[in-house]
Amino acid sequence: MDQTVVSAIPTRTLGTRPSRRLRNEGKLPGVVYGLGRDPLPVAVDYAELRDALKSEAGLNAILSLSLGDASETVIVRSIQRDPLKRTVTHADFLRVDPEVPIRVKVPIRLIGDGTGVTNFGGMIEQKLFELEVETLPTQIPSAIDADLSMMTLDRRIGVEDLKLPAGVRTAVPGDISVVTPVVSRAAKMAARTAMDAAAAVDGPTGGDEGGAAGDGGETAADAEE
Amino acid sequence: MLMPRKVKHRKQQRGRTKGVSKGATSVAYGDYGIQVLEPGWITARQIEAARIAMTRHVRRGGKVWINVFPDKPVTAKPAETRMGSGKGNPEHWVAVVRPGRVVFELSYPDDTIARQALNRAIQKLPIKARIITRVEGFDA
Repeated sequence: MDQTVVSAIPTRTLGTRPSRRLRNEGKLPGVVYGLGRDPLPVAVDYAELRDALKSEAGLNAILSLSLGDASETVIVRSIQRDPLKRTVTHADFLRVDPEVPIRVKVPIRLIGDGTGVTNFGGMIEQKLFELEVETLPTQIPSAIDADLSMMTLDRRIGVEDLKLPAGVRTAVPGDISVVTPVVSRAAKMAARTAMDAAAAVDGPTGGDEGGAAGDGGETAADAEE
Repeated sequence: MLMPRKVKHRKQQRGRTKGVSKGATSVAYGDYGIQVLEPGWITARQIEAARIAMTRHVRRGGKVWINVFPDKPVTAKPAETRMGSGKGNPEHWVAVVRPGRVVFELSYPDDTIARQALNRAIQKLPIKARIITRVEGFDA
């Protein structure tokens, strides 16, 4: 298992002010928990952790926290941010056992082009941005792909349509939408106007009845507006 | 314009706005958001003006989310009225926002047009605000 080593201080003073002092020194307060053992407050180097989480695995990278003599294999469970500076202010680390499956959130990546929707006046709306999966820590995928090329105006992508890698499963119901096609009212109206215009052009060649249909279409369009 | 359908009390005290927003501080639905940087009141008219400015700029192919609701009544006394005789009548509705609150979100495929639309919406707001994007990874 490929692990990035991040050095951590195993003891830190708890509280707002000591934590603020740590942050000013370039450290990040955090806590290590999991596997039935007691939680352990730690402080890690901010820049070191940021570099460790820049790999392809992203936030789900397996880390080796070096706590002096001991070492813990962990994964970042959650991070807290400052709402204005948007910097990370605290991190939760979950102890992991390589043999025990864990639940993690994996980002959903859109691939392919959604021309089946966009060429017909629709737009693509992503409803689900990450999927909670259960897998071994060594098999966490960096992302789960949602293929937009299978979409049409009548066809959405649900959780059941996602291709999960081997050894990865999810408890999220299959009927939950991941990406849905959306047709705006303006697009619907434009499509109807285009259809009416086409009917009006076809009208004179089709005889009197066709012409009447064209007039009726214009009336309908006016009523829509 | 947005306003509550029914309220328990017609008039409210003004209150104080301290601290930063305790929720809705990141983009949750769309790709971009408008995050306010100051505490303040946003009126229903301002919310509507910002929404119209945004939707008119993106025309088709975009989606707008409004994450605030004006649920606080603001009263005013009629012009040229002597002081006293109780509190004025409810005149309009405001949403109370604290720094960090994401008030609007937008989903649009073109980055330039989306930012232009959001800038137009920011011009309609009475407080400082900025454009933020969805956070992916450690760095925002």
